[in-house]
Amino acid sequence: MNFYLLYFLVAFTIFGFIAVFSLFSVYAERKVSAFMQDRLGPMEVGKYGWLQTAADILKLIQKEYILPALADKVLFTIAPVIIFVAVYLGFVALPWAPGLVPATMNLGVFYVFAIISIEALGILMAGWGSNNKYSLLGAVRSVAQMVSYEIPIGFAIISAVMISQTLDLQIINYNQGILAIDAVKFLGFVDVTKIGGILAWNVFQAPHLLVAYVIYFIASLAECNRAPFDLPEAESELIGGFHTEYTGLRFAFIFLAEYAMMFLVAMLGVTLFLGGWNTPLPNVGSLQLATYTTGVFWGIFWIMTKCLTVVGIQMWIRWTLPRLRVDQLMTLCWKILTPLAFLCLVISGLWKLLL
Amino acid sequence: MPGMRAGKTVRKRLKFRKEKDVVEQIIFYILTAIAIGSAAYVVLSQQLIRSVFMFFVTLFAVAGLYVFALADFVALTQIVIYVGGVLVLLLFAFLLSSKDALDTISEIPSGLLSANRLPAVLISLAFFGLLTYTFFNIDFQNLNWITSAQASGNVKSVTDDTIRNIGVNLMSRYLLPLEMISILLMMALIGATQIARKEPKAL
Repeated sequence: MNFYLLYFLVAFTIFGFIAVFSLFSVYAERKVSAFMQDRLGPMEVGKYGWLQTAADILKLIQKEYILPALADKVLFTIAPVIIFVAVYLGFVALPWAPGLVPATMNLGVFYVFAIISIEALGILMAGWGSNNKYSLLGAVRSVAQMVSYEIPIGFAIISAVMISQTLDLQIINYNQGILAIDAVKFLGFVDVTKIGGILAWNVFQAPHLLVAYVIYFIASLAECNRAPFDLPEAESELIGGFHTEYTGLRFAFIFLAEYAMMFLVAMLGVTLFLGGWNTPLPNVGSLQLATYTTGVFWGIFWIMTKCLTVVGIQMWIRWTLPRLRVDQLMTLCWKILTPLAFLCLVISGLWKLLL
Repeated sequence: MPGMRAGKTVRKRLKFRKEKDVVEQIIFYILTAIAIGSAAYVVLSQQLIRSVFMFFVTLFAVAGLYVFALADFVALTQIVIYVGGVLVLLLFAFLLSSKDALDTISEIPSGLLSANRLPAVLISLAFFGLLTYTFFNIDFQNLNWITSAQASGNVKSVTDDTIRNIGVNLMSRYLLPLEMISILLMMALIGATQIARKEPKAL
């Protein structure tokens, strides 16, 4: 029976992590936006306002659930749960350190990709269930955007998978550092299996993956519905998009899902392209930096550092770039990102055939 | 006494194995119950939109059953294609169709043996009869192809990497069907673009 206790413990740990991460990233987001706009941001609750989001969530928990009179009550109530669970389930396959992964599966990449696509359904459910023009418009926009951007994101992921030759996220991680099972080649010809570090990351094993990563990053912003792709919740035209009608804890869950999604796509990108939990420090001669900085705790440290950096860049972009128009959004996806991602895919194939 | 202790751990492991089997069976029956219940709701519900959303539950439960059949790739493909693609398409079709068209659906007489339901009732009863007949006439433990596969060792275990097998077979044995499907999809894609295109202004 202890076995099952462990399962529950892992599930609770992941949930706790998501909750704490969202709490602090909302605070970080507000501080980053304040810095960008030359303001101070939250300053009242706690020193430098660092308790602000904790106070916010306390307020949200106490708030009344408001059910619009004409809403479809069942759909309206379960939609936030489905949105959150879709993202939460994605974390199951993502490895944190050597030997530390919630569930080993040889289809990890495909699983994450599949489970994320459920979120679109939850959003549509929320939009329809609210029985509100703005909600429905926001939801339809959101789903159109997510379905479209799944194509470049899929191609970018496949081009990385073709270099790694596996769908198991943990083996993809192993093959980007000194613990590699196969030989690791920097730029395709210099053997760096013993050196490791930044040279062994997928983006440096095959340089066209750098382009693939940029495509992945842009498309992942769209998947999270974040600026400059935040048309689904464009407040100047749609009030709040698909979550206009939500209050209290239900709203909190939608928010939690958004921030969890940011971390999830950052973590998937880091695992596929930027070495996952592998250290950026290479072994130089007798200075075995990579060997020193590889291990369970170091793994967690590196992957957290990398993911938080990527999340930071997501925030930076949100407060820098203006929102795209719908036609610009679709043009970017279908006429620029998709052909480029397809090109990366072809190069990956040739790379594996010829090198 | 090392011998005794070893016996104890073996017994413990056996007990654990049994426990795991029981849990697996419970999960299996929960999944089947969800699949059947939600499928019944899809058919019986008067609200079309709820049927569509309930269909998602059915598909998800069936994907879970695929995992029990060691077809995890099929399970995930089902989620990607049906939940992420077909179901969203269905919903869009629903959202874009006019209210009048949807109202006429609910005006169709809904007696069980009314003229427009009779064929469906007959077909489903016939299929149910066929399934029960097969179920009671086949000895599932001693099927020919299962015993021969077990004899030649051609079996899959839970930890096997099935995708390598799928990939190799798709690129060698089933290459022609794969290419045919890709051409078909390409044709559909080009056709869809042609239909969705802005028509040049007449005159």
